[in-house]
Amino acid sequence: MIDTEKTSGPGNYEYVIARVRSRRASLFDDDDYRKLTRMGPGEIARFMEESEYESEMNALGARHSGVDLIEYALNRNVAKHFEDLLRWSEGELYGYIARYLRKFDVWNVKTIVRGKYSGESRENVETDLIRAGEFDEGLLDELLAAGSIQGVIERLDSTRYGDALAAAYEEYEETDVLVPIENALDRAFYEDLLTGLPTEPSRPMELYVEFLSAEVDFRNLRNAFRIARSGADMEAAEYYIEGGDLFTPAEIRQLAGDMDRLVEHVRQSRYGEELRDGLDALEEAGSLLEFERAVDAALLEYSRRLSSRYPLSICPVLAYVLAKEREVDNIRAIARGREGGLSQEEIENELVIL
Amino acid sequence: MIEALELTTVLVTLLQQGGQTVEAAPAIPTGAAAALAVGLAALGAGYAERGIGAAAVGAIAENDEMFGRGLILTVLPETLVILALVVVFV
Repeated sequence: MIDTEKTSGPGNYEYVIARVRSRRASLFDDDDYRKLTRMGPGEIARFMEESEYESEMNALGARHSGVDLIEYALNRNVAKHFEDLLRWSEGELYGYIARYLRKFDVWNVKTIVRGKYSGESRENVETDLIRAGEFDEGLLDELLAAGSIQGVIERLDSTRYGDALAAAYEEYEETDVLVPIENALDRAFYEDLLTGLPTEPSRPMELYVEFLSAEVDFRNLRNAFRIARSGADMEAAEYYIEGGDLFTPAEIRQLAGDMDRLVEHVRQSRYGEELRDGLDALEEAGSLLEFERAVDAALLEYSRRLSSRYPLSICPVLAYVLAKEREVDNIRAIARGREGGLSQEEIENELVIL
Repeated sequence: MIEALELTTVLVTLLQQGGQTVEAAPAIPTGAAAALAVGLAALGAGYAERGIGAAAVGAIAENDEMFGRGLILTVLPETLVILALVVVFV
C-alpha cells in the first residue's frame, strides 16, 4: 500500500522530470500511428515487439496471442511506467503522484465489478487489471476472489471508497445498473484528490490544484454534454464532481437541459479557445463523439502547455501520465478496430492524436 | 542562501565600522576578501550544479547517449568559480 507521506521535503523534481520528459519523447508519434492503422493485429504485435513494449510482449507472448496479447502487454507496461514514477520520486512530489495514481485503483475496482456483473472468469478479469495504484496484491486478490458485487463492496469498506460505495450499492440493488457504483468511485477519487492536501499553501500545490481542476472541469463538461445530448431525465448535479471551476452545481443543473446554452457557457469560459474546434463540430454535425475526442485532445494540449510553462513542477509528470494513458487507449482502439474489420479512416476517427 | 545574506550584512557592518576607526587599513585583508569571494562563488556554483546534476543523471538513466551532454551542462556553473578566481590575482 502506498503511503502518501513517505519522506519530507519538497521532492526531487529535477531528476524525475528529466526522466519523465525522456519517456514522454519516446511515446508513439503521428507517423507511428499512421503506420499502425494500416497494420493487422499480427503486424501491430510485431511492431510493438520492436518498440517500448518489447519486454512485456516477450514475457506474455508465450501465453497469449493476437489482440489479447497486445492488450495485456499495454496494461503491464502502463503499470511498470507508473510504478517507476513512484520509485523515483521523493517527498511531496511522491505524495502528489501517489494521490493521482489512485486513478488505477478506481479503474481496477470498476473492472472487477464489471467482471462480476457480467460473470467473467477470474483469469479474464485479472489480466485486465493495471497494478499501479494504492491497493496491494493481497487486497486485489481478495477482491477478485469475492463471490459477488456485494462481496467486493464489503471488502472495500475500510478503504477511502467505503462510504460512497455503500450508498451507491443500495441504488444499484434497486436499478440493477452499474452507473451509480462507477460514478461513486469517480467522485470519491476526484474529491479525494483535491481535499486533504497539506494546509500550508505552496507554489507546487497551487500548480497541482490548477492541473487537476482542469481535469475535473473536463470531466464535468463531458458528463454535462452527455446528459444534455441524451435528453435523459437525469439529475445532472448527481454526476457533478467537486473541485473544478468551470461549473457550479447550480449552473450545471440549469445548463444540462439546454444544449445551446451549455455550448455558449463553455465558449465564454477559459477553455473556450482550446475547445473551439470541438464546439464547432458539435454545433454543425451534432456529433458528440467528435466533441468528446476534442475534449480529450484539449485536455492533453492544456496539460502540455502547463508543463512547458512550469517545467519544474508536478505538471510534466501528470501530463506524462495522461499522454501515456492516451497512447495505450489509442493502440487498443487500433488493435480492436483492425480485429473488428473497421476501415483505416474509421479507426483514425477514433484516435486522439496531438 | 539566508546564511550567506546574513554573512554579507555582518561583513558590510564590519567594513563600515572598520572604515570609521582605522582609516587606512581595510577591515579584512585583501587576501581574505579574495578567498571569501572564491568561496561564495563556489557555493553558488555548487547550488546550481545540484539541480542540473540531478536532471543530468535522470537523463542519462533513460538514455546513455546523454552522458556527454549531461556532463557538460553539469559543470557549466563551474565557470563561475573560475571567473571568481580572477579576483585572487588582481
